[in-house]
Amino acid sequence: MIAQVVLNGLITGMIIALPAVALTLIYGILKFPNFAIGAMLTVGAYLAFVGNSILKLPMYVSAVFAAAGLALVLVIVNRFVFQPLRDRAAVNLLVASMGVSFVLENIVRFIFGNSALSFDLPIVRAQQFLGLRINFEQIVTAATAISGMIAVYVILRHTPLGRAMRAVSDNPALAAVRGIDRNKIVRWMWVIAGVLTAMAGVLAGLDRAIDPLLGWNYVVTIFAAAILGGLGNPIGAVVGALTLGVVEETSTLVIPPNYRQVVSFCAIAILLLIRPQGLLGTSRVKK
Amino acid sequence: MTAYLVTILILVCIAIILGLALNLQWGLCGMVNFGLAGFFALGAYSAAIVALSGAGTFAGIVAAAVIVAAACGLTALISLRLSDEYLAILTLGFGEVIRLVTLSETWLTGGSLGLPGIPRPFWGWVSEQNYEVLFLALLIGVVFVLFVVLEILIRSPFGRAVRAVREDDTVASTLGKNVTMLRVKAFAAGGAIIGIAGAFHAYYLTYIDPSQFSAIITAYAFMAVIAGGRGSNKGLLLGAATIMFLIEGSRFLKDVVGVLDATQLASIRLILIGLGLILFLIYRPQGFMPEYKLRVSSLIPKNPQSDSPRASELKKEAA
Repeated sequence: MIAQVVLNGLITGMIIALPAVALTLIYGILKFPNFAIGAMLTVGAYLAFVGNSILKLPMYVSAVFAAAGLALVLVIVNRFVFQPLRDRAAVNLLVASMGVSFVLENIVRFIFGNSALSFDLPIVRAQQFLGLRINFEQIVTAATAISGMIAVYVILRHTPLGRAMRAVSDNPALAAVRGIDRNKIVRWMWVIAGVLTAMAGVLAGLDRAIDPLLGWNYVVTIFAAAILGGLGNPIGAVVGALTLGVVEETSTLVIPPNYRQVVSFCAIAILLLIRPQGLLGTSRVKK
Repeated sequence: MTAYLVTILILVCIAIILGLALNLQWGLCGMVNFGLAGFFALGAYSAAIVALSGAGTFAGIVAAAVIVAAACGLTALISLRLSDEYLAILTLGFGEVIRLVTLSETWLTGGSLGLPGIPRPFWGWVSEQNYEVLFLALLIGVVFVLFVVLEILIRSPFGRAVRAVREDDTVASTLGKNVTMLRVKAFAAGGAIIGIAGAFHAYYLTYIDPSQFSAIITAYAFMAVIAGGRGSNKGLLLGAATIMFLIEGSRFLKDVVGVLDATQLASIRLILIGLGLILFLIYRPQGFMPEYKLRVSSLIPKNPQSDSPRASELKKEAA
């Protein structure tokens, strides 16, 4: 019983880990918390829905379509919203990101309405494995999320682009002196964030119904995961997401399941009181 | 028609009270409150529950103000050691918690069915047809008092200190200001005003349910503050009134534009609010009306020799 709950929690955590890594990357490079992350996830899910149910593409092609589409949307949003505001105080960017969130979510609502949709997929029987029940969707989720996170790790650690991104994140002025084109790095960062978030949107759409508030339901947990790991720290975000996934899932054994986000909220509130830099983060405390 | 106008004006007044609160928290202190809708709901439910228990509508308003002020103060206190982004995240989370509690704790809040039959202040003093006018008069009185109090607050030493904290908290603390207490106090004061707005919302509708307190409320308030000019209460009156009139007025569009359904019109409104927020932030961050500033030139007495080198230098600095 407990093992089953932990397994389900880990799978939920993997869905959260993807946007949490995206959030933390954006924070690392642009230094603002992107409140549009939920709406981005929703847009990803709907793009995949368009591919899967309207264009009748196979599911994995739809996922690629969603990833490319969301990456494009974010590069455009960056050009017209975040780039003009980049040299102002972070509070402008974070309020603007809330504006972006309203716009994206309501474009989706305008086109598709409020009704719940789902992917056009055959239902596959759950597998029994060592006494645990594992859905086909869960296996797909785990495989996608793990390969996504490995890809991000490889990009950040072992490619020139990743080095440049870490350099900009550490010290933008110094990176500029060394000839790193900040605009290019920021664009690539949005592409990576778009791909990760769209993946999470597709996986969330496999897990539950697709409606315009799909992403919004994850927002508190995504932020909690990123804060738990220390904002700006991708590995921390993954650890934070998996922890919260398991904690939220286990908490449903004792408290009503609709209070799952409350568990995440309490986790950040307590953590910020006792260890403001996050579990794995370096100090970001105000002087 | 008059009845419709009175209804709109009541909604405008509630939006103004909410906007004044956000202008205090965000405009004056630079503390972003993304949980505005949640705190507003907390105020409405507190007032409704107290008033329904028979303690009276005035007690309901006081309870709403105190409870929301405490909640806001606590949120500010948790994030006090951290940069501003964390406060935004915590308020967002707090708002979600309130929403989930109002949906789930049916014994207290009626769940998604809501709380009906909330008593109204001064009910029975005038005939039922004229009651809304009385309610509007009461609200205008509240708006006036809050406006005057906030204008005094902005010009008080407290207001100046809070703005100093917003601009640069390190400098403010070097000058001996207690940054933590200033932020917590200012955020809690904003919370008290949100609570009052919530109480009047509950009394006006006499029926509240969780669907009334969606993120749309937060969006409108932010739009009102930024359009009016952050930190300017006069600008806020203008901003909030314009936005509420546009929103309420655009309900007529449904009859004119037959092709769009209600959901689509609602989503267009929010798209426009979102775009408006972004465009104002990029192109007119100071809004329509500039913030009140104490200028050096206003302190220098005007005399014939006002063109002395020192005075003109001071003026240049002030400008």
